Amino acid sequence: MKPQLRLTLVSTDQALAGHLAIRLQSKGYQVLCLSRLAGVLGSIYSDPPNIVIADLAEIDPEILAIVKSMKADCYFSTIPVLGLLSSARVEEFDWQECPLDDFVAMPVLYPELFSRISLSLQRIQRVFDNNPLTRLPGNTSIQQAIEKALGKPMAVCYVDINNFKPYNDVYGFSHGDGVLRMLARIIFNAVNESGGGFAGHIGGDDFVYLVPLERAEAVAKTVIANFTTIVADLFGEVEKSNGFYCALNRKGQEEQVPLLGIAIAIVPTHTQKMQHYGKVAEVAAEMKKLAKQSNESCYVIDRRST
Amino acid sequence: MDDKRAEIRHSIMDTRSLPTLPGIISKLNSLSSNDKSSAEQMAQLVASDQVLSARVLRLVNSPSYGFYRVSTISNAMILLGVNVVKSLALSSSIFEIMEKNVVGLWEHSLGTGVAANVIARRLKLAECEEISTAALLHDIGKVIIKIKFADDYDQLLALIDTKGISIRDGEMELLATDHAEVGAWLAKSWHLPEKLIEPVACHHQVEKSTTHQLKTAVVHLADVLIKASGFGCSGDDFVPLIQPVAWDLLGMSEALLAEIVEELEERLIEVKNFSMEIQSADETST
Repeated sequence: MKPQLRLTLVSTDQALAGHLAIRLQSKGYQVLCLSRLAGVLGSIYSDPPNIVIADLAEIDPEILAIVKSMKADCYFSTIPVLGLLSSARVEEFDWQECPLDDFVAMPVLYPELFSRISLSLQRIQRVFDNNPLTRLPGNTSIQQAIEKALGKPMAVCYVDINNFKPYNDVYGFSHGDGVLRMLARIIFNAVNESGGGFAGHIGGDDFVYLVPLERAEAVAKTVIANFTTIVADLFGEVEKSNGFYCALNRKGQEEQVPLLGIAIAIVPTHTQKMQHYGKVAEVAAEMKKLAKQSNESCYVIDRRST
Repeated sequence: MDDKRAEIRHSIMDTRSLPTLPGIISKLNSLSSNDKSSAEQMAQLVASDQVLSARVLRLVNSPSYGFYRVSTISNAMILLGVNVVKSLALSSSIFEIMEKNVVGLWEHSLGTGVAANVIARRLKLAECEEISTAALLHDIGKVIIKIKFADDYDQLLALIDTKGISIRDGEMELLATDHAEVGAWLAKSWHLPEKLIEPVACHHQVEKSTTHQLKTAVVHLADVLIKASGFGCSGDDFVPLIQPVAWDLLGMSEALLAEIVEELEERLIEVKNFSMEIQSADETST
Protein backbone atom coordinates (compact mmCIF):
# COMPACT_ATOMS: atom_id res chain seq x y z
CA MET A 1 0.00 0.00 0.00
CA LYS A 2 1.14 3.51 -0.76
CA PRO A 3 2.18 5.50 2.31
CA GLN A 4 -0.47 7.97 3.37
CA LEU A 5 0.09 11.49 2.13
CA ARG A 6 0.31 13.94 4.97
CA LEU A 7 -1.49 17.23 4.68
CA THR A 8 -1.35 20.25 6.96
CA LEU A 9 -4.39 22.52 6.99
CA VAL A 10 -3.84 26.02 8.32
CA SER A 11 -7.06 27.84 9.20
CA THR A 12 -8.50 29.90 12.02
CA ASP A 13 -11.99 28.93 10.92
CA GLN A 14 -12.53 25.76 12.92
CA ALA A 15 -15.86 24.88 11.33
CA LEU A 16 -14.38 25.03 7.84
CA ALA A 17 -11.26 23.14 8.94
CA GLY A 18 -13.31 20.36 10.47
CA HIS A 19 -15.39 20.04 7.37
CA LEU A 20 -12.40 19.94 5.02
CA ALA A 21 -10.58 17.48 7.26
CA ILE A 22 -13.40 14.96 7.04
CA ARG A 23 -13.56 15.17 3.25
CA LEU A 24 -9.80 14.91 2.89
CA GLN A 25 -9.55 11.98 5.28
CA SER A 26 -12.21 10.19 3.27
CA LYS A 27 -9.81 10.51 0.32
CA GLY A 28 -7.06 8.83 2.30
CA TYR A 29 -5.07 11.85 3.39
CA GLN A 30 -3.69 12.10 6.88
CA VAL A 31 -4.80 15.57 7.91
CA LEU A 32 -3.36 17.83 10.60
CA CYS A 33 -5.47 20.91 11.33
CA LEU A 34 -3.60 23.85 12.81
CA SER A 35 -5.55 26.83 14.09
CA ARG A 36 -3.02 28.20 16.53
CA LEU A 37 -0.93 30.14 14.05
CA ALA A 38 2.08 30.67 16.31
CA GLY A 39 2.80 26.95 16.23
CA VAL A 40 2.35 26.38 12.49
CA LEU A 41 5.89 26.92 11.26
CA GLY A 42 7.37 24.90 14.08
CA SER A 43 5.05 22.03 13.30
CA ILE A 44 5.86 22.14 9.57
CA TYR A 45 9.60 22.39 10.16
CA SER A 46 9.75 19.61 12.70
CA ASP A 47 7.58 17.25 10.72
CA PRO A 48 7.27 18.42 7.08
CA PRO A 49 3.97 17.43 5.45
CA ASN A 50 3.60 16.54 1.73
CA ILE A 51 1.33 19.52 1.13
CA VAL A 52 0.02 22.55 2.98
CA ILE A 53 -3.41 24.11 2.54
CA ALA A 54 -3.63 27.68 3.78
CA ASP A 55 -6.99 29.30 4.40
CA LEU A 56 -6.72 32.79 2.96
CA ALA A 57 -10.43 33.44 2.54
CA GLU A 58 -10.08 36.32 4.98
CA ILE A 59 -6.59 37.35 4.02
CA ASP A 60 -4.91 36.88 7.38
CA PRO A 61 -1.49 38.61 7.47
CA GLU A 62 -0.19 36.02 9.90
CA ILE A 63 -1.00 33.16 7.51
CA LEU A 64 0.56 35.14 4.64
CA ALA A 65 3.71 35.51 6.73
CA ILE A 66 3.77 31.74 7.35
CA VAL A 67 3.56 31.00 3.63
CA LYS A 68 6.30 33.51 2.89
CA SER A 69 8.69 32.12 5.48
CA MET A 70 8.13 28.60 4.23
CA LYS A 71 8.81 29.60 0.65
CA ALA A 72 11.86 31.64 1.63
CA ASP A 73 13.65 28.56 2.94
CA CYS A 74 14.83 26.51 -0.02
CA TYR A 75 14.52 23.27 1.92
CA PHE A 76 10.82 23.79 2.71
CA SER A 77 9.96 25.68 -0.45
CA THR A 78 9.56 22.34 -2.20
CA ILE A 79 6.39 21.66 -0.21
CA PRO A 80 3.43 22.79 -2.32
CA VAL A 81 1.17 25.35 -0.69
CA LEU A 82 -2.41 25.60 -1.87
CA GLY A 83 -4.39 28.71 -0.93
CA LEU A 84 -8.11 28.78 -0.27
CA LEU A 85 -9.26 32.13 -1.64
CA SER A 86 -12.66 33.74 -1.75
CA SER A 87 -13.88 33.83 -5.35
CA ALA A 88 -14.57 37.53 -5.09
CA ARG A 89 -10.95 38.31 -4.24
CA VAL A 90 -9.10 35.93 -6.52
CA GLU A 91 -8.47 38.52 -9.19
CA GLU A 92 -6.98 41.10 -6.88
CA PHE A 93 -4.80 38.61 -5.03
CA ASP A 94 -1.15 39.63 -4.94
CA TRP A 95 0.65 36.50 -6.23
CA GLN A 96 4.04 38.09 -5.95
CA GLU A 97 3.51 39.07 -2.34
CA CYS A 98 2.24 35.62 -1.41
CA PRO A 99 4.07 32.80 -3.24
CA LEU A 100 1.33 30.15 -3.45
CA ASP A 101 1.75 27.16 -5.75
CA ASP A 102 -1.93 26.97 -6.58
CA PHE A 103 -5.32 28.00 -5.23
CA VAL A 104 -8.88 26.80 -4.89
CA ALA A 105 -11.73 29.28 -4.84
CA MET A 106 -14.31 29.25 -2.04
CA PRO A 107 -16.84 27.78 -1.70
CA VAL A 108 -14.77 24.68 -2.26
CA LEU A 109 -15.70 22.24 -5.00
CA TYR A 110 -14.26 19.03 -3.61
CA PRO A 111 -13.46 17.21 -6.83
CA GLU A 112 -11.45 20.26 -7.89
CA LEU A 113 -9.69 20.49 -4.55
CA PHE A 114 -8.62 16.83 -4.77
CA SER A 115 -7.36 17.27 -8.32
CA ARG A 116 -5.46 20.42 -7.39
CA ILE A 117 -3.76 18.57 -4.56
CA SER A 118 -2.67 15.72 -6.86
CA LEU A 119 -1.53 18.13 -9.55
CA SER A 120 0.50 20.23 -7.09
CA LEU A 121 2.26 17.14 -5.80
CA GLN A 122 3.09 15.96 -9.30
CA ARG A 123 4.26 19.35 -10.46
CA ILE A 124 6.52 19.95 -7.51
CA GLN A 125 8.11 16.56 -8.13
CA ARG A 126 8.77 17.42 -11.77
CA VAL A 127 10.16 20.85 -11.10
CA PHE A 128 12.25 20.21 -8.03
CA ASP A 129 13.72 16.89 -8.91
CA ASN A 130 15.20 18.04 -12.19
CA ASN A 131 18.75 19.26 -12.07
CA PRO A 132 18.66 23.01 -12.71
CA LEU A 133 21.86 22.91 -14.77
CA THR A 134 21.12 19.99 -17.07
CA ARG A 135 17.34 19.63 -16.57
CA LEU A 136 17.77 15.88 -16.19
CA PRO A 137 15.75 14.17 -13.42
CA GLY A 138 17.51 14.03 -10.05
CA ASN A 139 17.94 11.59 -7.22
CA THR A 140 14.33 10.93 -6.27
CA SER A 141 13.49 9.90 -9.83
CA ILE A 142 16.76 8.00 -10.18
CA GLN A 143 16.08 5.96 -7.07
CA GLN A 144 12.56 5.17 -8.27
CA ALA A 145 13.84 4.13 -11.69
CA ILE A 146 16.48 1.84 -10.17
CA GLU A 147 14.02 0.25 -7.74
CA LYS A 148 11.67 -0.46 -10.62
CA ALA A 149 14.50 -2.11 -12.56
CA LEU A 150 15.57 -4.52 -9.79
CA GLY A 151 15.08 -8.14 -10.77
CA LYS A 152 14.54 -7.23 -14.44
CA PRO A 153 17.01 -7.63 -17.33
CA MET A 154 18.01 -3.98 -17.12
CA ALA A 155 21.33 -2.22 -16.57
CA VAL A 156 22.08 0.75 -14.35
CA CYS A 157 24.99 2.64 -15.89
CA TYR A 158 26.92 5.21 -13.86
CA VAL A 159 28.87 7.82 -15.81
CA ASP A 160 31.42 10.28 -14.50
CA ILE A 161 34.15 12.49 -15.93
CA ASN A 162 37.83 11.74 -15.39
CA ASN A 163 39.97 14.65 -14.23
CA PHE A 164 37.05 17.03 -14.07
CA LYS A 165 38.34 19.03 -11.11
CA PRO A 166 41.57 20.25 -12.72
CA TYR A 167 39.57 21.12 -15.86
CA ASN A 168 37.32 23.37 -13.78
CA ASP A 169 40.34 24.89 -12.05
CA VAL A 170 42.12 25.71 -15.30
CA TYR A 171 39.24 26.65 -17.60
CA GLY A 172 36.73 27.98 -15.07
CA PHE A 173 33.35 26.86 -13.78
CA SER A 174 31.36 28.25 -16.66
CA HIS A 175 33.32 26.06 -19.11
CA GLY A 176 32.88 23.17 -16.71
CA ASP A 177 29.13 23.73 -16.61
CA GLY A 178 29.11 23.72 -20.40
CA VAL A 179 30.80 20.30 -20.35
CA LEU A 180 28.22 18.96 -17.87
CA ARG A 181 25.34 20.23 -20.03
CA MET A 182 26.86 18.62 -23.10
CA LEU A 183 27.46 15.28 -21.38
CA ALA A 184 23.88 15.34 -20.08
CA ARG A 185 22.57 15.86 -23.57
CA ILE A 186 24.87 13.21 -25.06
CA ILE A 187 23.61 10.63 -22.56
CA PHE A 188 19.98 11.66 -23.00
CA ASN A 189 20.17 11.43 -26.81
CA ALA A 190 22.11 8.16 -26.81
CA VAL A 191 19.54 6.55 -24.51
CA ASN A 192 16.56 7.85 -26.49
CA GLU A 193 17.98 7.05 -29.89
CA SER A 194 18.85 3.51 -28.79
CA GLY A 195 15.14 2.92 -28.21
CA GLY A 196 14.43 4.61 -24.88
CA GLY A 197 15.26 4.31 -21.20
CA PHE A 198 15.99 6.66 -18.35
CA ALA A 199 18.72 9.29 -17.97
CA GLY A 200 19.35 11.19 -14.74
CA HIS A 201 21.84 13.56 -13.13
CA ILE A 202 23.00 12.55 -9.67
CA GLY A 203 24.93 15.79 -9.17
CA GLY A 204 28.27 17.32 -10.10
CA ASP A 205 29.89 15.19 -12.79
CA ASP A 206 27.95 12.04 -11.81
CA PHE A 207 25.24 10.82 -14.16
CA VAL A 208 23.25 7.62 -14.48
CA TYR A 209 21.21 5.97 -17.20
CA LEU A 210 19.07 2.85 -17.32
CA VAL A 211 18.45 0.81 -20.46
CA PRO A 212 17.58 -2.84 -21.16
CA LEU A 213 20.67 -4.96 -20.49
CA GLU A 214 21.17 -6.00 -24.12
CA ARG A 215 21.59 -2.35 -25.13
CA ALA A 216 23.78 -1.22 -22.23
CA GLU A 217 27.15 -1.73 -23.93
CA ALA A 218 26.05 -0.21 -27.24
CA VAL A 219 24.80 2.91 -25.48
CA ALA A 220 28.03 3.11 -23.44
CA LYS A 221 30.04 2.98 -26.69
CA THR A 222 27.90 5.72 -28.25
CA VAL A 223 28.22 7.94 -25.18
CA ILE A 224 32.00 7.49 -25.12
CA ALA A 225 32.40 8.09 -28.88
CA ASN A 226 30.20 11.20 -28.85
CA PHE A 227 31.82 12.62 -25.73
CA THR A 228 35.25 12.13 -27.30
CA THR A 229 34.13 13.97 -30.46
CA ILE A 230 32.60 16.87 -28.54
CA VAL A 231 35.51 17.20 -26.12
CA ALA A 232 37.93 17.54 -29.02
CA ASP A 233 36.27 20.89 -29.76
CA LEU A 234 37.01 22.20 -26.26
CA PHE A 235 40.77 22.06 -26.48
CA GLY A 236 43.27 23.87 -28.67
CA GLU A 237 45.39 22.21 -31.33
CA VAL A 238 48.44 21.96 -29.06
CA GLU A 239 46.56 20.25 -26.24
CA LYS A 240 44.87 17.90 -28.69
CA SER A 241 48.11 16.71 -30.26
CA ASN A 242 49.82 16.41 -26.84
CA GLY A 243 46.85 14.63 -25.31
CA PHE A 244 47.17 16.70 -22.13
CA TYR A 245 47.03 20.23 -20.80
CA CYS A 246 48.99 21.83 -17.98
CA ALA A 247 47.62 22.63 -14.56
CA LEU A 248 49.00 23.40 -11.13
CA ASN A 249 48.55 20.64 -8.57
CA ARG A 250 47.93 21.13 -4.85
CA LYS A 251 51.59 21.70 -4.19
CA GLY A 252 51.68 24.44 -6.81
CA GLN A 253 53.73 22.34 -9.23
CA GLU A 254 52.91 22.19 -12.90
CA GLU A 255 51.31 18.91 -13.84
CA GLN A 256 50.18 17.33 -17.11
CA VAL A 257 46.48 16.56 -16.97
CA PRO A 258 45.01 14.19 -19.59
CA LEU A 259 42.17 15.58 -21.72
CA LEU A 260 38.67 14.93 -20.43
CA GLY A 261 37.40 11.37 -20.61
CA ILE A 262 34.56 9.43 -19.01
CA ALA A 263 34.24 6.22 -17.04
CA ILE A 264 31.06 4.13 -17.19
CA ALA A 265 30.19 1.41 -14.68
CA ILE A 266 27.48 -0.95 -15.93
CA VAL A 267 25.52 -2.89 -13.29
CA PRO A 268 22.98 -5.49 -14.48
CA THR A 269 19.94 -5.62 -12.22
CA HIS A 270 18.51 -9.06 -12.98
CA THR A 271 20.87 -11.10 -10.79
CA GLN A 272 19.97 -12.62 -7.43
CA LYS A 273 22.25 -10.31 -5.48
CA MET A 274 20.50 -7.14 -6.67
CA GLN A 275 17.85 -6.99 -3.98
CA HIS A 276 17.96 -3.32 -3.18
CA TYR A 277 19.14 0.10 -4.29
CA GLY A 278 22.13 0.13 -1.96
CA LYS A 279 23.57 -3.02 -3.52
CA VAL A 280 23.47 -1.44 -6.98
CA ALA A 281 25.42 1.56 -5.74
CA GLU A 282 27.93 -0.71 -3.99
CA VAL A 283 28.65 -2.78 -7.11
CA ALA A 284 28.77 0.40 -9.20
CA ALA A 285 31.48 1.79 -6.93
CA GLU A 286 33.58 -1.35 -7.48
CA MET A 287 33.11 -1.16 -11.26
CA LYS A 288 33.88 2.55 -11.25
CA LYS A 289 37.18 1.88 -9.54
CA LEU A 290 38.13 -0.50 -12.35
CA ALA A 291 37.00 1.87 -15.09
CA LYS A 292 38.98 4.68 -13.48
CA GLN A 293 42.26 2.77 -13.76
CA SER A 294 42.47 3.97 -17.33
CA ASN A 295 42.94 7.59 -18.33
CA GLU A 296 41.14 6.85 -21.57
CA SER A 297 37.35 6.76 -21.64
CA CYS A 298 36.06 3.24 -21.02
CA TYR A 299 33.25 1.18 -19.55
CA VAL A 300 33.30 -1.80 -17.20
CA ILE A 301 30.43 -4.24 -16.87
CA ASP A 302 29.73 -6.48 -13.86
CA ARG A 303 29.37 -10.01 -15.20
CA ARG A 304 29.48 -11.81 -11.85
CA SER A 305 26.18 -13.47 -11.08
CA THR A 306 26.75 -13.61 -7.34
CA MET B 1 22.45 55.00 -48.87
CA ASP B 2 23.80 54.30 -45.39
CA ASP B 3 20.19 54.10 -44.31
CA LYS B 4 19.88 50.98 -46.39
CA ARG B 5 22.83 49.45 -44.60
CA ALA B 6 21.25 50.28 -41.24
CA GLU B 7 17.92 48.89 -42.43
CA ILE B 8 19.47 45.60 -43.47
CA ARG B 9 21.39 45.35 -40.24
CA HIS B 10 18.23 46.03 -38.29
CA SER B 11 16.23 43.42 -40.19
CA ILE B 12 18.78 40.76 -39.24
CA MET B 13 17.76 41.09 -35.62
CA ASP B 14 14.35 39.60 -36.20
CA THR B 15 15.47 37.06 -38.77
CA ARG B 16 14.93 33.66 -37.22
CA SER B 17 14.68 31.55 -40.29
CA LEU B 18 15.31 31.54 -44.02
CA PRO B 19 13.77 29.43 -46.74
CA THR B 20 15.41 26.36 -48.19
CA LEU B 21 14.96 24.20 -51.29
CA PRO B 22 11.70 22.22 -51.35
CA GLY B 23 13.66 19.17 -52.55
CA ILE B 24 15.62 19.08 -49.29
CA ILE B 25 12.44 19.05 -47.27
CA SER B 26 10.77 16.33 -49.32
CA LYS B 27 13.97 14.26 -49.05
CA LEU B 28 13.94 14.72 -45.28
CA ASN B 29 10.30 13.76 -45.14
CA SER B 30 10.96 10.56 -47.01
CA LEU B 31 13.56 9.37 -44.48
CA SER B 32 12.15 6.72 -42.20
CA SER B 33 12.43 7.53 -38.54
CA ASN B 34 14.65 5.88 -35.98
CA ASP B 35 17.31 3.97 -37.77
CA LYS B 36 20.96 4.66 -37.97
CA SER B 37 21.31 5.02 -41.74
CA SER B 38 18.54 7.58 -41.91
CA ALA B 39 20.21 9.58 -39.13
CA GLU B 40 23.37 9.67 -41.24
CA GLN B 41 21.43 10.65 -44.35
CA MET B 42 19.73 13.37 -42.39
CA ALA B 43 23.07 14.74 -41.22
CA GLN B 44 24.27 14.71 -44.82
CA LEU B 45 21.18 16.59 -46.03
CA VAL B 46 21.47 19.20 -43.29
CA ALA B 47 25.19 19.64 -43.94
CA SER B 48 24.51 20.18 -47.64
CA ASP B 49 22.21 23.13 -47.09
CA GLN B 50 23.47 26.49 -45.90
CA VAL B 51 20.16 27.54 -44.42
CA LEU B 52 19.48 24.30 -42.54
CA SER B 53 23.05 24.21 -41.28
CA ALA B 54 22.83 27.78 -40.05
CA ARG B 55 19.50 27.10 -38.31
CA VAL B 56 20.80 23.97 -36.59
CA LEU B 57 23.91 25.84 -35.45
CA ARG B 58 21.76 28.71 -34.23
CA LEU B 59 19.74 26.34 -32.06
CA VAL B 60 22.70 24.43 -30.63
CA ASN B 61 24.50 27.69 -29.81
CA SER B 62 21.44 29.36 -28.29
CA PRO B 63 22.10 30.51 -24.73
CA SER B 64 19.21 28.43 -23.39
CA TYR B 65 21.08 25.20 -24.04
CA GLY B 66 24.21 26.67 -22.49
CA PHE B 67 26.67 24.46 -24.37
CA TYR B 68 30.16 25.56 -25.09
CA ARG B 69 30.44 26.91 -28.67
CA VAL B 70 29.46 24.30 -31.28
CA SER B 71 30.67 24.77 -34.85
CA THR B 72 29.96 21.56 -36.76
CA ILE B 73 26.78 19.83 -37.85
CA SER B 74 27.92 16.44 -36.57
CA ASN B 75 28.49 17.87 -33.09
CA ALA B 76 25.17 19.67 -33.25
CA MET B 77 23.45 16.37 -34.11
CA ILE B 78 25.07 14.67 -31.12
CA LEU B 79 23.98 17.40 -28.73
CA LEU B 80 20.53 18.24 -30.05
CA GLY B 81 19.55 14.69 -30.93
CA VAL B 82 18.10 13.34 -34.15
CA ASN B 83 14.50 14.17 -33.26
CA VAL B 84 15.16 17.81 -32.49
CA VAL B 85 17.19 18.32 -35.67
CA LYS B 86 14.58 16.59 -37.79
CA SER B 87 11.69 18.63 -36.36
CA LEU B 88 13.67 21.82 -36.80
CA ALA B 89 14.56 20.98 -40.39
CA LEU B 90 11.01 20.01 -41.30
CA SER B 91 9.70 23.30 -39.90
CA SER B 92 11.70 25.22 -42.50
CA SER B 93 9.95 27.40 -44.97
CA ILE B 94 10.72 26.79 -48.63
CA PHE B 95 11.33 28.99 -51.63
CA GLU B 96 7.92 29.55 -53.19
CA ILE B 97 9.19 29.90 -56.71
CA MET B 98 12.23 27.94 -57.79
CA GLU B 99 14.21 30.42 -59.78
CA LYS B 100 17.34 29.36 -61.52
CA ASN B 101 19.55 31.54 -59.36
CA VAL B 102 18.18 29.99 -56.17
CA VAL B 103 19.38 26.56 -57.22
CA GLY B 104 22.54 28.15 -58.61
CA LEU B 105 23.42 29.75 -55.29
CA TRP B 106 22.59 26.55 -53.41
CA GLU B 107 24.96 24.62 -55.68
CA HIS B 108 27.62 27.31 -55.35
CA SER B 109 27.46 27.17 -51.54
CA LEU B 110 27.53 23.38 -51.42
CA GLY B 111 30.36 23.29 -53.96
CA THR B 112 32.40 25.80 -51.97
CA GLY B 113 31.92 23.68 -48.84
CA VAL B 114 33.21 20.62 -50.71
CA ALA B 115 36.12 22.56 -52.20
CA ALA B 116 37.10 23.91 -48.76
CA ASN B 117 37.07 20.34 -47.47
CA VAL B 118 39.33 19.16 -50.29
CA ILE B 119 41.78 22.03 -49.66
CA ALA B 120 41.80 21.64 -45.88
CA ARG B 121 42.41 17.90 -46.06
CA ARG B 122 45.09 18.26 -48.71
CA LEU B 123 46.91 20.83 -46.54
CA LYS B 124 46.30 18.66 -43.46
CA LEU B 125 44.75 21.58 -41.62
CA ALA B 126 43.05 21.19 -38.26
CA GLU B 127 39.27 21.42 -38.00
CA CYS B 128 38.38 20.44 -41.57
CA GLU B 129 34.69 20.12 -40.78
CA GLU B 130 34.58 23.62 -39.29
CA ILE B 131 36.25 24.98 -42.42
CA SER B 132 33.74 23.21 -44.69
CA THR B 133 30.87 24.58 -42.61
CA ALA B 134 32.23 28.12 -42.82
CA ALA B 135 32.58 27.71 -46.60
CA LEU B 136 29.05 26.36 -46.89
CA LEU B 137 27.76 29.46 -45.08
CA HIS B 138 29.99 32.03 -46.79
CA ASP B 139 27.28 33.45 -49.09
CA ILE B 140 24.33 33.26 -46.70
CA GLY B 141 24.20 37.06 -46.84
CA LYS B 142 22.99 36.73 -50.43
CA VAL B 143 20.01 34.67 -49.28
CA ILE B 144 19.14 37.33 -46.72
CA ILE B 145 19.30 40.13 -49.27
CA LYS B 146 17.21 38.15 -51.73
CA ILE B 147 14.56 37.17 -49.19
CA LYS B 148 14.34 40.23 -47.00
CA PHE B 149 15.03 42.89 -49.64
CA ALA B 150 13.53 41.34 -52.75
CA ASP B 151 13.05 44.68 -54.53
CA ASP B 152 16.62 45.74 -53.91
CA TYR B 153 17.76 42.34 -55.06
CA ASP B 154 15.98 42.72 -58.40
CA GLN B 155 17.51 46.19 -58.78
CA LEU B 156 20.88 44.73 -57.94
CA LEU B 157 20.62 42.11 -60.68
CA ALA B 158 19.60 44.78 -63.19
CA LEU B 159 22.46 47.02 -62.07
CA ILE B 160 25.21 44.44 -62.41
CA ASP B 161 23.77 43.42 -65.75
CA THR B 162 23.77 46.93 -67.25
CA LYS B 163 27.04 48.06 -65.70
CA GLY B 164 28.81 44.75 -66.14
CA ILE B 165 30.14 44.77 -62.56
CA SER B 166 30.47 42.02 -59.96
CA ILE B 167 27.62 41.33 -57.56
CA ARG B 168 29.73 42.55 -54.66
CA ASP B 169 30.47 45.88 -56.35
CA GLY B 170 26.79 46.17 -57.14
CA GLU B 171 25.89 45.54 -53.49
CA MET B 172 28.34 48.21 -52.32
CA GLU B 173 26.93 50.70 -54.78
CA LEU B 174 23.29 50.00 -54.09
CA LEU B 175 23.21 48.94 -50.43
CA ALA B 176 26.43 50.37 -48.94
CA THR B 177 27.23 46.94 -47.60
CA ASP B 178 27.95 43.53 -49.10
CA HIS B 179 26.77 39.96 -48.63
CA ALA B 180 29.87 39.11 -46.56
CA GLU B 181 29.04 41.74 -43.97
CA VAL B 182 25.33 40.88 -44.02
CA GLY B 183 26.11 37.17 -43.59
CA ALA B 184 28.43 37.94 -40.68
CA TRP B 185 25.72 40.02 -38.98
CA LEU B 186 23.39 37.07 -39.20
CA ALA B 187 26.02 34.64 -37.93
CA LYS B 188 26.72 36.94 -35.00
CA SER B 189 23.09 37.50 -34.15
CA TRP B 190 22.54 33.72 -34.27
CA HIS B 191 25.38 33.22 -31.76
CA LEU B 192 27.49 31.17 -34.16
CA PRO B 193 31.14 30.69 -33.10
CA GLU B 194 33.76 33.23 -34.14
CA LYS B 195 35.58 30.61 -36.23
CA LEU B 196 32.55 30.53 -38.53
CA ILE B 197 31.80 34.26 -38.45
CA GLU B 198 35.22 35.49 -39.49
CA PRO B 199 35.59 33.44 -42.70
CA VAL B 200 32.07 34.53 -43.73
CA ALA B 201 32.89 38.18 -43.00
CA CYS B 202 36.31 38.22 -44.68
CA HIS B 203 36.04 35.79 -47.60
CA HIS B 204 36.52 38.67 -50.05
CA GLN B 205 39.10 40.45 -47.89
CA VAL B 206 41.36 37.84 -46.37
CA GLU B 207 43.70 40.53 -45.04
CA LYS B 208 40.96 41.71 -42.65
CA SER B 209 40.88 38.37 -40.92
CA THR B 210 42.67 38.50 -37.57
CA THR B 211 42.24 35.29 -35.57
CA HIS B 212 41.05 32.67 -38.06
CA GLN B 213 43.21 33.57 -41.04
CA LEU B 214 43.82 30.04 -42.26
CA LYS B 215 40.14 29.20 -42.27
CA THR B 216 39.34 32.47 -44.03
CA ALA B 217 42.05 31.85 -46.63
CA VAL B 218 40.68 28.37 -47.38
CA VAL B 219 37.12 29.68 -47.76
CA HIS B 220 38.35 32.43 -50.08
CA LEU B 221 40.31 30.00 -52.23
CA ALA B 222 37.42 27.53 -52.32
CA ASP B 223 35.04 30.28 -53.42
CA VAL B 224 37.38 31.31 -56.25
CA LEU B 225 37.95 27.71 -57.38
CA ILE B 226 34.23 26.95 -57.51
CA LYS B 227 33.53 30.13 -59.48
CA ALA B 228 36.33 29.19 -61.88
CA SER B 229 34.99 25.65 -62.26
CA GLY B 230 31.64 26.98 -63.45
CA PHE B 231 29.80 24.87 -60.87
CA GLY B 232 26.56 26.48 -59.68
CA CYS B 233 26.10 30.22 -59.82
CA SER B 234 27.00 32.80 -57.19
CA GLY B 235 25.18 35.64 -58.92
CA ASP B 236 27.68 36.81 -61.53
CA ASP B 237 30.19 35.29 -63.92
CA PHE B 238 33.30 36.99 -62.59
CA VAL B 239 36.13 34.92 -61.23
CA PRO B 240 38.02 36.98 -58.67
CA LEU B 241 41.78 36.66 -58.37
CA ILE B 242 43.20 34.51 -55.62
CA GLN B 243 44.42 37.04 -53.07
CA PRO B 244 48.20 36.84 -52.56
CA VAL B 245 47.78 36.98 -48.79
CA ALA B 246 45.64 33.81 -48.95
CA TRP B 247 48.08 32.13 -51.32
CA ASP B 248 50.96 32.82 -48.93
CA LEU B 249 49.05 31.89 -45.77
CA LEU B 250 48.23 28.49 -47.24
CA GLY B 251 51.76 27.97 -48.62
CA MET B 252 50.14 27.32 -52.00
CA SER B 253 52.10 26.40 -55.13
CA GLU B 254 51.08 25.93 -58.76
CA ALA B 255 51.63 22.20 -58.51
CA LEU B 256 49.66 21.84 -55.28
CA LEU B 257 46.82 23.90 -56.70
CA ALA B 258 46.70 21.69 -59.78
CA GLU B 259 46.36 18.59 -57.56
CA ILE B 260 43.60 20.23 -55.57
CA VAL B 261 41.72 21.22 -58.71
CA GLU B 262 41.99 17.71 -60.08
CA GLU B 263 40.59 16.17 -56.90
CA LEU B 264 37.88 18.80 -56.77
CA GLU B 265 36.73 18.09 -60.33
CA GLU B 266 36.11 14.47 -59.34
CA ARG B 267 34.24 15.39 -56.20
CA LEU B 268 32.06 17.86 -58.11
CA ILE B 269 30.67 15.03 -60.23
CA GLU B 270 29.21 13.43 -57.09
CA VAL B 271 27.98 16.80 -55.89
CA LYS B 272 26.24 17.41 -59.20
CA ASN B 273 24.50 14.05 -58.92
CA PHE B 274 23.37 14.87 -55.40
CA SER B 275 22.07 18.22 -56.60
CA MET B 276 20.10 16.56 -59.44
CA GLU B 277 18.64 14.17 -56.90
CA ILE B 278 17.48 17.06 -54.70
CA GLN B 279 16.00 18.90 -57.64
CA SER B 280 14.11 15.85 -58.88
CA ALA B 281 12.88 15.15 -55.33
CA ASP B 282 11.30 18.55 -55.59
CA GLU B 283 9.53 17.72 -58.85
CA THR B 284 8.15 14.42 -57.58
CA SER B 285 6.77 16.06 -54.46
CA THR B 286 4.76 18.70 -56.29
